[in-house]
Amino acid sequence: MTLLKAGPRQASRSPHRTAQDSPPGDLCLDLMETPNAPNSEGSAAVTDPPADLSQRLSVLLAGIARGDQAAFAEFYQLTSRRVFGMARRVLIDPELSEDTTQEVFLQVWQNAAKFDPQAGSPLSWLMTISHRRAVDKVRSSQSSTDREAKYGASTQDIDHDSVSDEVGSRLEAEAVVRCLGTLTETQQESVRLAYYGGLTYREVAERLNAAVPTIKSRIRDGLIRLKTCLGVS
Amino acid sequence: MSDMDEGRNGRSGSFGDTVAMDLASGHAVDLAELYALDAVTAQERDAIDLYIASAPEAERLAFLARVRQSREALARTFRVEEEPPADLFERIVAQLPAQIPGQEGQPGGGAPAPAARTGPVPQQGMTVEPGAQDELAQARKRREQRRGPSGTRRWLVGVAAAAAIALGGVGVGAYLADQADPVNQVARAADLREASVNVAGGGKATLMISASKDAAVVKMSGVPAPPAGKVYQMWLIPKDGSAPVSQGLMDEQALSRPAVVQGIHSAASLGITVEPAGGSKAPTQPTVAAAPLGA
Repeated sequence: MTLLKAGPRQASRSPHRTAQDSPPGDLCLDLMETPNAPNSEGSAAVTDPPADLSQRLSVLLAGIARGDQAAFAEFYQLTSRRVFGMARRVLIDPELSEDTTQEVFLQVWQNAAKFDPQAGSPLSWLMTISHRRAVDKVRSSQSSTDREAKYGASTQDIDHDSVSDEVGSRLEAEAVVRCLGTLTETQQESVRLAYYGGLTYREVAERLNAAVPTIKSRIRDGLIRLKTCLGVS
Repeated sequence: MSDMDEGRNGRSGSFGDTVAMDLASGHAVDLAELYALDAVTAQERDAIDLYIASAPEAERLAFLARVRQSREALARTFRVEEEPPADLFERIVAQLPAQIPGQEGQPGGGAPAPAARTGPVPQQGMTVEPGAQDELAQARKRREQRRGPSGTRRWLVGVAAAAAIALGGVGVGAYLADQADPVNQVARAADLREASVNVAGGGKATLMISASKDAAVVKMSGVPAPPAGKVYQMWLIPKDGSAPVSQGLMDEQALSRPAVVQGIHSAASLGITVEPAGGSKAPTQPTVAAAPLGA
């Protein structure tokens, strides 16, 4: 099973992505950027380098913690595509995905004060909340068989989405591709099934017809390789 | 192809079949990646939390560091993006009042309180705490009221946070800071009601009405552009039967944006007519839409 296929990179973002040509399965290696308006092609391609983005998101979270609505709106603007994209990928169902996104941002509004920059980046904090929510929802709403079936259907052909022109994002995207390549195929497969399929290690083991301790090791070792390669400290 | 790979680290034997076995055999730290990936059941997550909370400091810190690193790596690696529906932000904002726990009580709100009230594990923001602090909620409400629309009656202040976001574009952030309030004030009102009326000629007008904010937000959807040389004009029809009061104009561009109509308490309904460009002093045409305000 090909889990990651580095497809041809497109020089520019396609301006009018629809549900048909951009299924939730897109693996998009763009860095966060302002949501693209259909008519803002080109001019909207200004992308913050990760450090700047992290800093901005931290500032916004501090604002949200004080009840600042404008900060909340900007935070949403900068991150909602990621949250919704992940929810769609895990849950597939658009309505459930919207519900999840809604819950995540309500949680952001309520818990912004608990964000601790020492304990991780804002994006990691947000995606952790998002993934937990999505997974909880998918597990309560769909049987694991359904999830596996949908997961299979949604991941038959994963191309890297367009890569931003911005140098920093391109380097980051390349680093991610390279680092994913340091995982074995089976490690990638297990990590992906857990991350996007919302499967527990036990469900992954059943799905792959492998021993439970083996799958646990694959996930552990795969993630350790990934973070080591990415230089996460 | 690669069950060999597990052997490479020589550690595959360290895991048991269950999380309970792993915890019992001293392999809690090795569960960090599974935990970060949410690849455990809710019960297992709780068991791990419980164990880690009372684990020796070195073990706990090692576990938390690996969880943090894994999450960082996952957030950088799996980046699916998809544009959420344009009105999702509005829907979120509309839910805020009922759910706010009231950060108002902590003006220095940026202060980290990660270990706080919920889980035994000092991790960030994992649990939603339903609004519990009535006093603080009251404080927020009072503050909202103070922050309400200023004295100037800004009839038909178009363009709001949600629309700006839906339309996207660069530099919206600074713009939002200034413009977010009028629509949000209504959208966040506890007594928000929605009403929808058809517009003659096609499409509909949706109203978010709040008596407490004395305002309504009008959104047109699927409404065709006014004919050349014409504009839509909005009116409040007073309860006392006096002449309709103009609330402003909507040209083709303004159609796509929500508009705020304030001072609705004395109005029986909101009407929309098609008028010559520049608008009219009084409606000259029959209404294309009329929505009772029921205030």
